[in-house]
Amino acid sequence: MTSEEKNITNESTSEVTAPESASTEAAGSVDPNAFVPELLTVTPSPHIRAYDTTRTIMLDVCIALLPALIWGIYIFGLRALSVVLISVIFAVLSEFVWEKLMKKPVTVLDFSAVVTGMLIGMNLPVSVPLWIPAVGSIFAIIVVKQLFGGLGKNFVNPALAARVFLFAWPAHMNTFVSPETSLSPLAVSVPDVVASATPLSALKNGIMPTSTTLFNSVLGFESGCIGEVSALLLTAGFVYLLVRRVITWHIPVAFIGTVFVLAYIFPQSAPTLDFALYEIFSGGLFLGAIFMATDYVTSPITTKGRIIYGIGCGALTVFIRYFGGYPEGVSFAILIMNLLVWYLDRYTKPKRFGGAKVGKAKN
Amino acid sequence: MALTFNGGIHVEEHKNTRSCAVEAMTPPATVSIPMSQHIGIHAEPCVKVGDEVKRGQRIGDVESGLGCPVHSSVSGKVIRIDERSTATGAKIRNVVIENDGKMEVSPDIVPWGKKLADTTTEEIIEIVRNAGISGMGGATFPTYAKISSALGKVEHIIVNCAECEPFITANHRLLLENPDAVIGGLKILLKAFSLRRGEIAIEDNKPDAIRKLEERLADSDLIDIRVLKTKYPQGDERQIIYALTGKELPMGKLPADVGCCIFNAETCAAIYNAFVNGMPLVERIVTVDGDCIKTPKNVLVPIGTSYRDLIAFCGGLIREPKKIVNGGPMMGFAQWDIDSPVTKGTSAILALSNDIEHHYEQPIACIHCGRCVRGCPMRLMPNYLALFAMQNKLDMAEQFDITSCVECGSCSYTCPAHVPISQYIRAAKIKVIERSRLAQFAREKSQNK
Repeated sequence: MTSEEKNITNESTSEVTAPESASTEAAGSVDPNAFVPELLTVTPSPHIRAYDTTRTIMLDVCIALLPALIWGIYIFGLRALSVVLISVIFAVLSEFVWEKLMKKPVTVLDFSAVVTGMLIGMNLPVSVPLWIPAVGSIFAIIVVKQLFGGLGKNFVNPALAARVFLFAWPAHMNTFVSPETSLSPLAVSVPDVVASATPLSALKNGIMPTSTTLFNSVLGFESGCIGEVSALLLTAGFVYLLVRRVITWHIPVAFIGTVFVLAYIFPQSAPTLDFALYEIFSGGLFLGAIFMATDYVTSPITTKGRIIYGIGCGALTVFIRYFGGYPEGVSFAILIMNLLVWYLDRYTKPKRFGGAKVGKAKN
Repeated sequence: MALTFNGGIHVEEHKNTRSCAVEAMTPPATVSIPMSQHIGIHAEPCVKVGDEVKRGQRIGDVESGLGCPVHSSVSGKVIRIDERSTATGAKIRNVVIENDGKMEVSPDIVPWGKKLADTTTEEIIEIVRNAGISGMGGATFPTYAKISSALGKVEHIIVNCAECEPFITANHRLLLENPDAVIGGLKILLKAFSLRRGEIAIEDNKPDAIRKLEERLADSDLIDIRVLKTKYPQGDERQIIYALTGKELPMGKLPADVGCCIFNAETCAAIYNAFVNGMPLVERIVTVDGDCIKTPKNVLVPIGTSYRDLIAFCGGLIREPKKIVNGGPMMGFAQWDIDSPVTKGTSAILALSNDIEHHYEQPIACIHCGRCVRGCPMRLMPNYLALFAMQNKLDMAEQFDITSCVECGSCSYTCPAHVPISQYIRAAKIKVIERSRLAQFAREKSQNK
């Protein structure tokens, strides 16, 4: 303490004699002006940010989709890869071209178009002509996404809207081949494929599927769209998204749970439990519930809203599967619920902190 | 099980100065002391240019109203009284004192003569007011006014040692190096409120400080150590009250209305110092950190020291900072003048380069991910509030409780699209409040007719 005081006195005397050197000495030979910028940036707080960006989130979704996609390529052959590649390329290209034409900032690097493209491709049967994924991607990106203002502004999921648009060609969209069929990866169209019944179409007719066992249906040895067959690998993607905190469990669990419960209560054929399990493991339910119903832009933001939304999706899926003209109802169910998102958000708005009477009542 | 609240976010801690003992700063050649360093009215300078002042001498005074006196932090000569912007942007008169280097203490500084047991509540309030103590956590409410307005309503006296802001370790070091001052301050406050039990709330990222407190309090069962989960904004008084008592502070109410009164750890130490030594609040611990500072430190700084001198004491800058922030990175104020003075509410000075936000890009569209909703400690929907603010839909913003926003910045921090959500909300919130005031004014006027 004394040495410090002495130090102070020394400085003050030196300051009297030589004020020039005083300032540098006071700081212990540090130049207080070094690196001081001419202008400082003034912004409102906060001054630090989390590391997540839209891009990392979209990349996480791509990574989560990969196991199911690789499985699709494995069992349906290289043509599956062609279909998905074409849809991805056309999704990215249409976004790029549109933004260039409209003189908007190009946002393809946020990977949202890649996710849309992957989902479109994975929602198609492997036997579709190769122009189908291209048309689907162009429709999804330009009509559903960009015409409404681009990322974050679309009111329905672009990939699902594109899939429903593609039902304009039902012959292509409803022909499913069995997993062993080998198809040319590059031929534009593959006529004369041998169609195989999906488990869902059997269920639709009130009979238990014979083409596959329940175990194979979970693993993914069944006919169907490229990315939807393996419930197991889609669940792996779900776990990845949960671990990375990209999505919460509410929508997929409420969605799949509702379908299971309704199918169990109102079975179309016996045994009940098997029927209900086939209902959830066949068709696009896992792909839809995990990857499409949870699309941020078109799903509610509150926990309560998410649960209601999941239950609504599940109930509509079962309703369409039972009473609709088409064996699958997941896409339509999600699209309908997409339209209700704002209302779900608005009417499930959490009570603000200190807004409830709890604070006073407890007091 | 650590206590906590719902929502909130996990922020990278950056507590680089955790093990840096507090160093007393070599007093600078001049100090510039603002006449108001807290919420309330400004003090009037009671010295003239050319006056000799001593350390601890009163240089600004408040006749009446909410405000407390200001004291000199050095001994020397008043060389100017000028106007300067404060950390938050208001223009305020500053008394500039040239340091004579002697650090002579004013003869008025005498320890309080009586024992604590014989001191009355009024006397404690008077000591606190005369020592110019205001909240040192950042909100800077005059402490004497907090005590006197809460008298008779309070059951919980809580010392806030959460220190949930990244980078800042000033309270942590204070608890490690001088726990008796904090505990002593709490005891004085308990006496003022005629209460027996007090609580010290501390986040679980400071286990050494918790151990230290436990040691000191081993033979006393009147002060409880309440361990909080490390989460932002755990140090917000609403969240502390909720974590400790389960009560939600209603909008527009003070903590005293739910029976709580919260004091910052360093405020308690200042009260103790004023009581035991008679020394008013003329210095405080400031964490100096950021990637542009050569040696980040915790420094005991005379009030009125310029950021430039303080940074020079820490080895100066090693690269050009983009921002100099007064306070923590989540709620602190970016400064435009490196010669601004440290005040009673300055808990940290951060010199941050561009790299600290290197991953920050231009804002893009909200994708409705819900991270801001999950993180909002007030259970608001920041994404919609920002949207309504952009569209100037004040009615909708009001319906969505925009006025409840505490501006903690959690939403902006977590937003993956880098939308400056809290900035939008802040702007619209002011408009909503102004509008409702105007409406009330119009109503009152028409009633008077």
